[in-house]
Amino acid sequence: MTLAESSAEDIDKAAPRTANPGGARRRKRRLFEFKSDIPASWSITLGILVWVLFFGFWEFAVWQNWANDILLPGPGKVLSALYTLFTEESFLYDVVVSVTRILVSFALACLVAVPLGILMGSFRTVEAFFNPLVSAWRYLPAPAFIPLLLMWLGASDAQKLALLFLGVVWFLTTLIMDHTKSVPADFVRTAVTLGGNRLQVLRTVVVPAALPDILVAMRQMLAVSWTYLVIAEIIAADVGIGAMMMRAKRFLHVDQIMAGIVVIGALGLLFDFLLKKFHGIAFAYLEENVR
Amino acid sequence: MASHVKLSVNGVCKSFGHGAHRVEALRDVSFNVLQNEVCVLLGPSGCGKSTLLNIVAGLQDPTVGSVVLDGTEIDGPARERGMVFQSYTSFPWLTVEQNVEYGMKLNGVPKAERMERASHFIDLVHLTKFRKTYPKNLSGGMKQRVAIARTLANRPEILLMDEPFGALDAETRWHMQEMLIEIMKSSQTTIMLVTHDIPEAIFLADKIVFLSSHPGRLKAILGLEFKKGKDIRDKEELITLDGYPECERDILAMMRAEARPQDAT
Ligand SMILES: Nc1ncnc2c1ncn2[C@@H]1O[C@H](COP(=O)(O)OP(=O)(O)OP(=O)(O)O)[C@@H](O)[C@H]1O
Ligand SMILES: [Mg+2]
Repeated sequence: MTLAESSAEDIDKAAPRTANPGGARRRKRRLFEFKSDIPASWSITLGILVWVLFFGFWEFAVWQNWANDILLPGPGKVLSALYTLFTEESFLYDVVVSVTRILVSFALACLVAVPLGILMGSFRTVEAFFNPLVSAWRYLPAPAFIPLLLMWLGASDAQKLALLFLGVVWFLTTLIMDHTKSVPADFVRTAVTLGGNRLQVLRTVVVPAALPDILVAMRQMLAVSWTYLVIAEIIAADVGIGAMMMRAKRFLHVDQIMAGIVVIGALGLLFDFLLKKFHGIAFAYLEENVR
Repeated sequence: MASHVKLSVNGVCKSFGHGAHRVEALRDVSFNVLQNEVCVLLGPSGCGKSTLLNIVAGLQDPTVGSVVLDGTEIDGPARERGMVFQSYTSFPWLTVEQNVEYGMKLNGVPKAERMERASHFIDLVHLTKFRKTYPKNLSGGMKQRVAIARTLANRPEILLMDEPFGALDAETRWHMQEMLIEIMKSSQTTIMLVTHDIPEAIFLADKIVFLSSHPGRLKAILGLEFKKGKDIRDKEELITLDGYPECERDILAMMRAEARPQDAT
């Protein structure tokens, strides 16, 4: 949203049709316009509409008996299953365990990827040494290591953390390396001609310049983390959201499986929202009109 | 004006690449810059002005030759040779004040002195009201002023500028030029500035070093005798001065002569 576009839109809104005597006729606002902004109210309405249609279609499918009642419960049943899960089946514990797995494994991945990515993006020597390794690992699908991890670590928490770690750490490293590389060269050159040594330049220029993009990379990879969590918990786990869903499958509780999906989706959105908010607060200087 | 040699460029040659890909950017360039002198590097595009300035800054090494500042041969970048670039380099995560203090902080200047010097140079570049503002809210010209104040506050022996006003619109550009003249009058500094804007070069320079293209060689050193000893503060004053049109015409002719062989290729 550029300044020019938004002000053009304001003028558009403010000027009634009659206030344009003899001039060029005001251009009609079209529904579909390439890359042009739409009013906030419009975008909220559309966002709600898609969900209303989704639930409407779901209810309709249930009402029409398109599938067996057991295989396709309605939204209401899923909600009540969710309530029962939390009140009677200590589902909260599963959720806490899953979230802990995500947070611990992701923190470990960041602990490796952030310094490594920054160093690889800053120094070609470090890149030349690590990149062959990181690239190769990046192309190996993490689930391929499940049998190995199960043999080494058993169906333990450590096995799950290892899988989640392997699933994100290589991509995260590469993304952070790329973001570090795109720090403007003139920032670095300015700092060295002001008398900065390598450590100072790294600490006071490269890191702060790359940090906003690094946080964006983390947000993207946290979403991927959830994918591996479900894989890890479906394969061999007693607790966790995925484990609950597999338990439910054994007893044909489709409503509970769906409730699990809903919770994963909601948690994913929540984490994404929190990181986005944090980005806005931590890097407020990137916004205009911040003093 | 003291007239001892501040910086000397001695037989600098620079080529990039090897074998068939070898590009000769500079050939045997030598000249001196005197104390408190403004030396402008002028020449057609691609003649090696930036390369030469980078070599003086220590950001690149000459293939042959040396650069001597205050009697010491330079070796790598250092605080003594602060550089301002054409791209905006005010750090977005720091306020104007923090940006200006940045270089002094690197060099361990005590806080009290740092603040004093920063506010002096912020006043000098007319950003007093914007001390606490982040660069995102500054115009291009203001960002450039932050960069200039930051480098000057760091007390370099010579201020290097590579087309510092190149990205600015015409009006902002002459405001900046006049401000730079003002700064030069109040704080004695030796400056080496690259531009390809001829009026800008004549306005700011005590001496113009003209480079020819492909490879960059020293073509002429112009003393700008017509404005010697005159206290010129704005552009109108310069343009109405006797000798200005001739000077501009001569430089334009040199530019043209250099540009022609390039057109043929
Ligand atoms: N890193 C490099 N590798 C190879 N060739 C280079 C490199 N840097 C510069 N050159 C070449 O050296 C010559 C001089 O470049 P330079 O950037 O110094 O010119 P300039 O006078 O600053 O030009 P402009 O006015 O366009 O900024 C050009 O032919 C350029 O292609
Ligand atoms: Mg250049």
